[in-house]
Amino acid sequence: MTTIEKALIRLHEVDAQSRGDFLLQTLDARAKVIVTIAYIAVVLSFSLTSFSGILLFAVFPIVSASMSGISYGQVFLRSMIALPFIAFVGIFNPIFEREPMLVAGDLTISRGWVEFLSIMLRGVLTVQAALLLIASTGFQRVCRALGCLGVPQIFTTQLMLIYRYIYVLINEAIRMDRARRSRSYGRRHYDLSMWATFVGQLLVRSVGRAERIHRAMLARGFDGHVRILGHLRWSSTDTAYCILWIGLFIAGRFFDLSSVLKFL
Amino acid sequence: MHLADALVSPGVAGGAGVVSAALIAVDARKLKGVTEREGLVPMMGVLGAFVFAAQMINFSIPGTGSSGHIVGGVMLAALLGPWAALITLASVLVVQCLLFADGGLMALGCNILNMGVCSTLIAYPLVFKPLAGDCGRMWRVVAASVCASVVGLELGAVMVTVETELSGVTALPFGSFLGLMTGIHLLIGLGEGIATAAVLCFVMKFRPGLLSPEKRQGGSTSVLAWFLGGAILLGGCFAWIASEDPDGLEWSVGRLTGGTEIAGGTGDVEVALAAVQQKTSLLPDYDSTWSGIIGCAIVLVLVWAVTSLISFRRKNKPV
Repeated sequence: MTTIEKALIRLHEVDAQSRGDFLLQTLDARAKVIVTIAYIAVVLSFSLTSFSGILLFAVFPIVSASMSGISYGQVFLRSMIALPFIAFVGIFNPIFEREPMLVAGDLTISRGWVEFLSIMLRGVLTVQAALLLIASTGFQRVCRALGCLGVPQIFTTQLMLIYRYIYVLINEAIRMDRARRSRSYGRRHYDLSMWATFVGQLLVRSVGRAERIHRAMLARGFDGHVRILGHLRWSSTDTAYCILWIGLFIAGRFFDLSSVLKFL
Repeated sequence: MHLADALVSPGVAGGAGVVSAALIAVDARKLKGVTEREGLVPMMGVLGAFVFAAQMINFSIPGTGSSGHIVGGVMLAALLGPWAALITLASVLVVQCLLFADGGLMALGCNILNMGVCSTLIAYPLVFKPLAGDCGRMWRVVAASVCASVVGLELGAVMVTVETELSGVTALPFGSFLGLMTGIHLLIGLGEGIATAAVLCFVMKFRPGLLSPEKRQGGSTSVLAWFLGGAILLGGCFAWIASEDPDGLEWSVGRLTGGTEIAGGTGDVEVALAAVQQKTSLLPDYDSTWSGIIGCAIVLVLVWAVTSLISFRRKNKPV
């Protein structure tokens, strides 16, 4: 399967997940956006040498996955995608920071390795939070929430249009790519001149499509604003959801809950 | 070059977010009215989706056995103008972040600055436009594409280095990190430039009207003023976060408790509890950090097990 086909499957997967009837899917998108941003901000605010404090914050994606009927294992595996670039930056910490930090028997772990693991853990958790936000909400509702939270309308309109046309253009690119692969005798990649023709052709077709769309939109009274049926509804459950999670995040950040766990 | 959340501190992410949000707000005001008049809205939407689809088609890099894909900043600016290109590229970054975990949600402001602003609002008006002129000659478009892409990506690489260093995430010295990032992005920039040139030459041949210069407006001086203001904001106001002093939250705790850490108790109750803890602890000989980590792991497994047993399914469908 090619990258582009995998991308299309991923888009369909997100759409299907966001249409589920679990508790998290029924909450207001704004509540989920606010809680996710608060979560990421609190996780990032820990010092680099914190590990157990951050580890406890994995409770949020685990519970959110369950609340939205999504397998946490699936979310965990998907969050690994972000790790290579983080590892590229973080791997220098074990080289430069060699002072011992953790000792258990014969095993000594340096400060650099603790920092590296902490960076990787933050990477995984923050990506999981973002993935669960979109999987439990859907792209369109996240855009509407962003609009309600003050993001300029032209930006949210762009997001919605891009999301709409990604399906169309990815399908077109898949058809073109399939036609090319069926005639290329197993060559996976394009050489630059062929790639330029392929992408240029896709671009010219896309522009033609955009012009047709614009004429169709004008014919239907388009005035620059995309109107959507239905409104986001904020309920007491959303308030409770925000207060509960943000309260827990603050408690987890200001009190060392991991030391309480020593009583285990 | 997509910066993940784990590589930035909340202060740097917030600072970059404020600058990016201000630029998007200025952008939205500049495009108000123009979008409806010139049919830019569907064009921006479709070209954003095009960049997304084009990024999935890799071309082989001769002599390396590897492959690369286009980023699209300079190409979008050449087709839409810098302001419309910035909004389009920022939208693509949001889609990549939310759907494909490519770049962090908190780091979105940083990514918009590094990849969007550097290419569309700096490299395009200051490098591409003067070199390409009216896009009448192919060699000028090729030279402009390569130079603008290299400048845009190098600026982005410098920004990534500065943001990561300001966040205090990497132990790598600033000079070495900068050398590494700019070295790698010089090669990526050349590849991006050649790919952009190849696509724009194709467009010149088959739809020359798309590169018409009247679309490509954009004041470089106002942009630079915004950018410099943002850089000063980032560098000046948030540099303290990277310092050895307590970070914002620790500082707040310090103000409340009189120290940056909450001291352990020495009273009778605390001593008694510590003795109980020593007796009941599963791992009494390990230091507190290890016990904390193992305790957290046990809690996470318990939370996962309990939540797996509970069904959160609702009868009502979402709105």
